Amino acid sequence: MTQFVALHNQHHQQLRIDPERIEALGAHQHMVPVVLSEFLKLVVHYPIVFSKNSETGQFVCSALLGFTAGENLFWQNNQWQGIYTPLQIMRQPFFIGEQQGQIIICIDMESNVLTTGKGEAIFDSSGQETDYLQQAKTRLAALINGENETQVFIKTLLALNLIMPMALDISFANQQQQRIQGLYTINEETLAQLGSEQLMQLQQQGYLKPIYTMIASLGQIYALIQKKNAQLGLA
Amino acid sequence: MNNKIASVVIVGGGTAGWLTAGRIAAQHRTQTGSTISVTLVESPTIPIIGVGEGTWPTMRSTLMKLGISETDFIRECDASFKQGAKFSRWVTGTADDFYYHPLMLPQGFGKTNMAAHWQALRNEQQLQESFSAATCFQEAICELGLAPKMITTPEFNSVANYAYHLNAGKFSTFLQKHCTEKLGVLHVLADVVSINSADNRDIRSVTTAQAGEISGDLFVDCTGFQSLLLGQHLQVPFVDCSDVLFIDNALAVQIPYDSDDAPIASHTISTAQDAGWIWDIGLIHRRGVGHVYSSRHTSEDQATAQLAAYIGPAFNNSSLRKIPLPCGHRDIFWKNNCVAVGLSAGFLEPLEASALVLVELSASMIAEQLPACRAVMDITAKRFNETFRYRWDRIIDFLKLHYILSKRTDNTFWIDNRDPATIPASLQELMQLWRYQPPGDHDFTSNNEVFPAASYQYVLYGMGFETCYDYSEHLLRDNQFAQEQFMKNKKTIAQVTRSLPSNRELLQKIHLHGLQTL
Repeated sequence: MTQFVALHNQHHQQLRIDPERIEALGAHQHMVPVVLSEFLKLVVHYPIVFSKNSETGQFVCSALLGFTAGENLFWQNNQWQGIYTPLQIMRQPFFIGEQQGQIIICIDMESNVLTTGKGEAIFDSSGQETDYLQQAKTRLAALINGENETQVFIKTLLALNLIMPMALDISFANQQQQRIQGLYTINEETLAQLGSEQLMQLQQQGYLKPIYTMIASLGQIYALIQKKNAQLGLA
Repeated sequence: MNNKIASVVIVGGGTAGWLTAGRIAAQHRTQTGSTISVTLVESPTIPIIGVGEGTWPTMRSTLMKLGISETDFIRECDASFKQGAKFSRWVTGTADDFYYHPLMLPQGFGKTNMAAHWQALRNEQQLQESFSAATCFQEAICELGLAPKMITTPEFNSVANYAYHLNAGKFSTFLQKHCTEKLGVLHVLADVVSINSADNRDIRSVTTAQAGEISGDLFVDCTGFQSLLLGQHLQVPFVDCSDVLFIDNALAVQIPYDSDDAPIASHTISTAQDAGWIWDIGLIHRRGVGHVYSSRHTSEDQATAQLAAYIGPAFNNSSLRKIPLPCGHRDIFWKNNCVAVGLSAGFLEPLEASALVLVELSASMIAEQLPACRAVMDITAKRFNETFRYRWDRIIDFLKLHYILSKRTDNTFWIDNRDPATIPASLQELMQLWRYQPPGDHDFTSNNEVFPAASYQYVLYGMGFETCYDYSEHLLRDNQFAQEQFMKNKKTIAQVTRSLPSNRELLQKIHLHGLQTL
């Protein structure tokens, strides 16, 4: 369960955050929404795909972490096996809320990362924001700005028919077959046929880089299959 | 005679007019524009009848062919999803008497004869479910008020096959905008005052009060019940079918929902009354409810009272619209260079939502088979007439089927309906056959069928008809396979009822977020 409350420098002065526990919050996520500004860091490990938000049907960009719901192949031996963890996870336990038209920062009071003992303080004894909170706010800002930017990116691609469903039929080393549905990727054929005007537009918007990063990231699916095979004890 | 058919003039601007205009214009588009000019002449004074709030799944492909976004359509036409029809009180008239005619084939249909296995298991009391419940997961979805798809399902794709309920007035306006802005249809608001003939009795032009003379190579009569071009001008007689189907009047009302989150039924509900039946169609903002009845068997007062009783406290006498309903069709639909589409071609009671589907089928054949020149038009016309006469006859048979299997005796309406003298010979023949074999594809072999054999099975076995298998035990041979199909249906029900949202929830999400095109 989650319980969001507005961050308050007196109410939350005693609160501590255990950064070690943050990545564990993503232990059972097989996909995590990501933003454009992360793409270059993500491509080191993760396939970056389009998927649909199950509540709204709208496209989002996601990093693929596993092949079935609940399966995060990067979470092993109680650790995130990777040098970059998506912002959507690292932002925990902070969220953006709205109060009387003002954007405010909220904290999830039910989050497992909250402690009262050891850990990072959010406010110091005089009620000032700590460096830790400052950094957390920077991450949050990157995420919020990134979400808007990514939505515009997706809209542009949809208008140019540059998104297509991805057929993913995987056989694992134990002969288990799996069809992964609901994933979408860049339509390279449409991309190759774009006119110079449309290409120019994409270039000026800075979209060519993320487009090619997404295409290149699909190679990471093989790495992900290998992780799965390793987990099955077959590789 | 060898000049290209280059201009089509459609007279009348309801859904029939605009669907036909749109289909022709879209079909004949090339990269440089349309090769055919399509003009729609609409009277600024004659109101649209606006029948047909129910459609068939064919409407999805019609909209796609017109290049319409499903999200726009749902938002602007108050549309909701329809997954078939529930027929209440048609057999015995008791409160628990109902069956479904869903929009999907029975599980295993075409692989084995599920109807035979179902009946055998049911008679051995090994299976309790009705035919539609046992063989088609769609009934469970409808009973729970669930949508046929999810917000993540792309436009026009489905989890369960579906059609729409829509606001006919808004649909007309929506099509008009699309046809004129996107498909290059010319819209002329003018009253036709005279029809001018050529020497061969073809229509040369129509003279209008406001826009002068408008000439064309092909005229499409979408003038509604008055059938101005085909019926009045070309004198094609009306074939009355009220000796078979007795409904001749409708009383219609619009009912608001009790609350903003009241469930929206995802099927048409048809509830039999003592001399007719009540339709109940859920749109997003209101319900459309109406009583169609036979004035030979009940009075308007009685029919109004029954409608009021069905609706309850929300019934409002002042919004009641009375619409006299003809029953029948023109003798032919295409004569000379004039073809009728919609009410001008004919009308039958809306029991299986056949009005709009006939418009779509007509528009489709005209668009795809548009004669290249006048010299070949008579051949196209002959084929069109044969095709549509066949279709009207099959629809009449299928509608009549719903009445002849009833066991109701509360009004002579039902007794008269079962009188063999009122049952077409073609239907009587099928009924004879079906005493010993279930409806199958061999019964419906034309390319122009409207209802598949499965539809007849749903109605027959939904209404308690029994086929005798004493002489055809081989039909029960695949018992194991059939059992698997019944199990499969149960599994699918469990799966889809877990994942599908309610009809209202999905419609609200579509209004809020829209559906993706892929």
